[in-house]
Amino acid sequence: MDSVANQACIVGIGHTEYSRDSGRSEMTLACEAIGAAIADAGLTPADIDGITKYTMDNNDPIDIARNLGIPELRYAAEVNYGGGGGPVGTIALGAMAVATGQAKAVVAFRAMNERSGRGTPRFGQAGTAPGASGVASYFSPYGLFSPAQMVALSARRHMHLYGTESRHFGEIAVTCRHHANMNPNAMMHGRPMSIEDHQASRMIAAPLRLLDCCLETDGGAAVVITRADRARDLRHPRVFIAGAGIGAGHWNYRSMVKDMDSPVSESTVIAKHLFRDAGIKHSDIDVLFIYDHFTPLVMMAIEDFGFCKRGEGKDFVSNGRLRWPDGELPMNTSGGNLSEGYMHGMQNVIEAVRQLRGVARCQVKDARHAFVSAGNAVPTSAMILRNEL
Amino acid sequence: MSELSFPYPIPEYGTEPYWAACNEERLVMQRCQACGKFRWHPAPLCIYCSHSGYDWAPLSGRGRVYTWTVITHAVHPAAVARVPYVVVEVELDEQRDLRMVSNLVDCEADAIQFDAPVRVAFETHASGQKLPVFRLT
Ligand SMILES: [Zn+2]
Repeated sequence: MDSVANQACIVGIGHTEYSRDSGRSEMTLACEAIGAAIADAGLTPADIDGITKYTMDNNDPIDIARNLGIPELRYAAEVNYGGGGGPVGTIALGAMAVATGQAKAVVAFRAMNERSGRGTPRFGQAGTAPGASGVASYFSPYGLFSPAQMVALSARRHMHLYGTESRHFGEIAVTCRHHANMNPNAMMHGRPMSIEDHQASRMIAAPLRLLDCCLETDGGAAVVITRADRARDLRHPRVFIAGAGIGAGHWNYRSMVKDMDSPVSESTVIAKHLFRDAGIKHSDIDVLFIYDHFTPLVMMAIEDFGFCKRGEGKDFVSNGRLRWPDGELPMNTSGGNLSEGYMHGMQNVIEAVRQLRGVARCQVKDARHAFVSAGNAVPTSAMILRNEL
Repeated sequence: MSELSFPYPIPEYGTEPYWAACNEERLVMQRCQACGKFRWHPAPLCIYCSHSGYDWAPLSGRGRVYTWTVITHAVHPAAVARVPYVVVEVELDEQRDLRMVSNLVDCEADAIQFDAPVRVAFETHASGQKLPVFRLT
């Protein structure tokens, strides 16, 4: 085995509702989502012996095991870099664990009260410490705090280098909202958005507008991973992890401000190995799940993962290409972080599995391969999922 | 100190000379003794060749606008009275890729252009620490 390709499958998915105020604890959300994912797989908590989490998630695997009745936890690991690093990285760790026999079945999850602030502080807000140390000491004194503000710097540079315009970023937001409007579980269901709405939304940190930014959400989402041979007899058709990678590229300095002039990014580093390891070409991908924290970063991810060249993103996302049912490469078909719920990308993973089981609301016909990324502008991760060929 | 200030920088081992020079209104950065390149922000090893030896060398304080954002949504209590304000990434004249984050002050947002020449100035934070900021020239 020289890579994790095709060694493991996602066999269970589960999530809570996504809301502005869950009315229950983060641990309750975690246990509900994980319990649902285990049940979806046709397993019981006694079958689970591994848990992977986002470093920033407040729910400790020991507590989860105690609550759910997982008797022997053999594997507990976590992935750093905020919400962006986790959704695929946790699954990659799970896949490696089951492939190498360190665990039989691993749960990867995200659960938080990020919108209500009941447990997790809202990410868009700065802390109120009087002093800043470490790298923050070079940013905070100037009033540069939030991811949105840092992304705005990179977005403007992209616009300068490639002629990208705000309305191109708007195409991404409108695409996700279009899909959310077909998903009754989406936070933005029933709230249509046009390009004009996007262009009229207020500036947060120019050129970034309010509708370029993801939601804030309370909720929980989880998946179960097991080795491919064990997956054969479970409830659902197998969804293989055809390849998974974690990577960091070049940063001019440590921040979420990308070095827009470097040819190397976190996404190019991953793409270089991922498609080769999986034996799958970009043209094989039927449905795309790009971590959508901010619309300009979605465009940069599409470019740097190699779906088009740098600077071609503005055309790639236009003319409805990413929109189900008529677009040639539908993206984030349940609404994404931008319009379904900001479950830090785990909701995209769940939707990718639905697509490959053939049970998505916006089902891509004959979907065989899904590409799923975690958040860029931080060290990130990506994977290719496939169903039984 | 007023609570309506952005956070002050806390100097650490290895970064005190940067902030001390700012208080003398001098912009200095580490310059590698092996390859001669500057780096920002401070780091123990050269980010180009990993050499550990460096000097704190002066810069002209001149550079160009690499990119910028006009912040209109306040996410910090001190930002409420400050918005709109401009955060800029300046590429310094001494070296391509030598970029630093700062504020562009005393300018209209509409007047900012890519590659516009800028020059360093120093503003005093409520803590007494001087901060390098930039003005269009
Ligand atoms: Zn050097």
